[in-house]
Amino acid sequence: MADGTGRGERLSIWFFVGFLTLIYGLVLAPYGAWEWFGHHEAPTVLNNLHPTFWWGSFMLLFGAFYTIKFRPGKD
Amino acid sequence: MLPIAALMFFNEGQLTHLAPVDILILALYFAVVVFIGFYVKGSTNTSEQFFLAGREMSAWIAGLSFVSANLGSLELMGWAGAAYQYGMLATHWYWIGAIPAMLFLGIVMMPFYYISKTHSVPGYLQLRFGEGSRAIAAVSFGLMTILMSGVNMYAMALVMKVILGWDISFSIWVGAATVALYVMLGGLRSAIINEVLQFVLIWAGAALIPILGLVEAGGWTNLKAQIAVNVGSTDYTHLWTTLGHFRDNPMGVHWTGIVFGLGFVVSFGYWTTDFLVVQRVLSANNLRAAKMAPVIGAAFKMAVPFIVIVPGLLALAVLKNPDGSVLHLVGENAVNAAHPYSYNEVLPLMLIRYCGPGLLGLGITALVAGFMSGMAGNVSAFSTVWTYDIYGAFINKKASDKHYVFMGRLSTVVGMIVSILTAYLVAHAASIMDYVQALFSFFIAPLFGTVVLGMLWKRATRAGGFWGLLIGTASSIGMWLYTTYGGQVALARIALSGDARPMAETLYRALWAWLICVGVTVVVSYCTKPFTDTQLSGLVYGATPIPDDGAQTLFQKPLFWAVVVITVFFILNIVFF
Repeated sequence: MADGTGRGERLSIWFFVGFLTLIYGLVLAPYGAWEWFGHHEAPTVLNNLHPTFWWGSFMLLFGAFYTIKFRPGKD
Repeated sequence: MLPIAALMFFNEGQLTHLAPVDILILALYFAVVVFIGFYVKGSTNTSEQFFLAGREMSAWIAGLSFVSANLGSLELMGWAGAAYQYGMLATHWYWIGAIPAMLFLGIVMMPFYYISKTHSVPGYLQLRFGEGSRAIAAVSFGLMTILMSGVNMYAMALVMKVILGWDISFSIWVGAATVALYVMLGGLRSAIINEVLQFVLIWAGAALIPILGLVEAGGWTNLKAQIAVNVGSTDYTHLWTTLGHFRDNPMGVHWTGIVFGLGFVVSFGYWTTDFLVVQRVLSANNLRAAKMAPVIGAAFKMAVPFIVIVPGLLALAVLKNPDGSVLHLVGENAVNAAHPYSYNEVLPLMLIRYCGPGLLGLGITALVAGFMSGMAGNVSAFSTVWTYDIYGAFINKKASDKHYVFMGRLSTVVGMIVSILTAYLVAHAASIMDYVQALFSFFIAPLFGTVVLGMLWKRATRAGGFWGLLIGTASSIGMWLYTTYGGQVALARIALSGDARPMAETLYRALWAWLICVGVTVVVSYCTKPFTDTQLSGLVYGATPIPDDGAQTLFQKPLFWAVVVITVFFILNIVFF
């Protein structure tokens, strides 16, 4: 049984959590890299720390971990 | 409990706009939640599946959903503003105003809710005190919930208009249609999945603000020093030192109000008897999960001030005008050209300060997710109470299970339509928001008195429960009318001090209403015939053998983790004393 989504379902709630954060990571990390290396940083405070790239990368890793760990058909 | 009405007074003009990457992030969120609704529809065919998610949820899912149901966007924005205005005192609403009550629910009350197999809190009252008490609780809860959903909806539309310039009607209809669709399809299961997603999204969208803010401020110690310089006082970074007298703190409260009014009555009333949150725990798949869920929720609740209170405090230190002087946020009525922003704009201002395109979309998605899951929570709880405790109890008692599921889906849609009407009503008469908030405060404290006596005191009788609840609620309404129209004199009488402010009134009114409810219940119970132990089996402490929760090791015991959480709670209170 997939955790949280009901008997007989294949996708668990944790898969959805992982999938959404993975997709967000896949959007934010490249966008942050483009900002950083293309010198397109938005004029925000501490933009020299490149938060979009690092936060996007963190979400990508977090999302990838959950997506793989709770992928359908694993059990 | 929070100043929703204050959001009415956001200043004119939008704060920012979304880039295409932000819109992509928002669109992905909508696509996923609608997909989830269709995906879980196949597992919501029976009433237990639709209204209680099949009682299949693990402790982690039920626990995250439990804490997330309360973590709406208004909560985040309102309390971030309160932190700017009152400093760390606002943290009390997250710690003493939540943690002990959540642990009490898990360890003491949950076994009775769970083993009685009730579908709802009014359902428990029916088992314990009869149809009269259930009717009062169900009708008041149904009304309150659906009105709150409308208020939530309008507030979302207003926030989106202020931050992004979106049309009010567009936000109302898109939000309502999406929520109605996925709750109608997947019932509580859809709502819970969305709440767990929302919990992750809120942290993903909001955690960067305190992280970058603390980097900018140079750490916690420097932050405290900067706040002390900017506001001319060290009181803003302490929890208890200013609560010795009403006049010593900007909230105008006394420690007795915080400990007994907030920490005991308001908090216990909300976290242990408000069906919106209790319903999440009832979805747990076994007794141990049902006991663990609130403990897990409490652990996460303790961390929430990091993303709510810290941004408010950071704003006191780092927000500056273009000329380098300190930017002062003001009360809603004081917003003008010289002071263009109010307290309630703290969170969006801090979001814009640190988050460019992409991260801004993530933050806005977190806010939208919070609003939508708040609406979903309200409407799923409403459809359950309507179907089981009003329609099934008083209108159509013998319908088939399939019919009740149909009624659940139908009441979801009807409830959403009533919410939309409420939202438009609020748009035309802002004072309705205040009345809806007041309505919420009328019922919670007396209901806690009735439920806790019902669970822990065998002698409480059917008449005692009914009259206690009725008179307790009536007394709360009476005190509210008295203080609303009686001015400072009335406030001083209810809150026990001429220096008390409206925040204190809410806390003391709850305390008196609870005491009146308990007093009436005790007196009437002693005057009426008691139940036998057999009649109370499964419902009351002392008449019910509590089944073993199946914990084998120390680390599996909910009580062990509750002790861990309460220990951390005390340490945090001492550290920030």
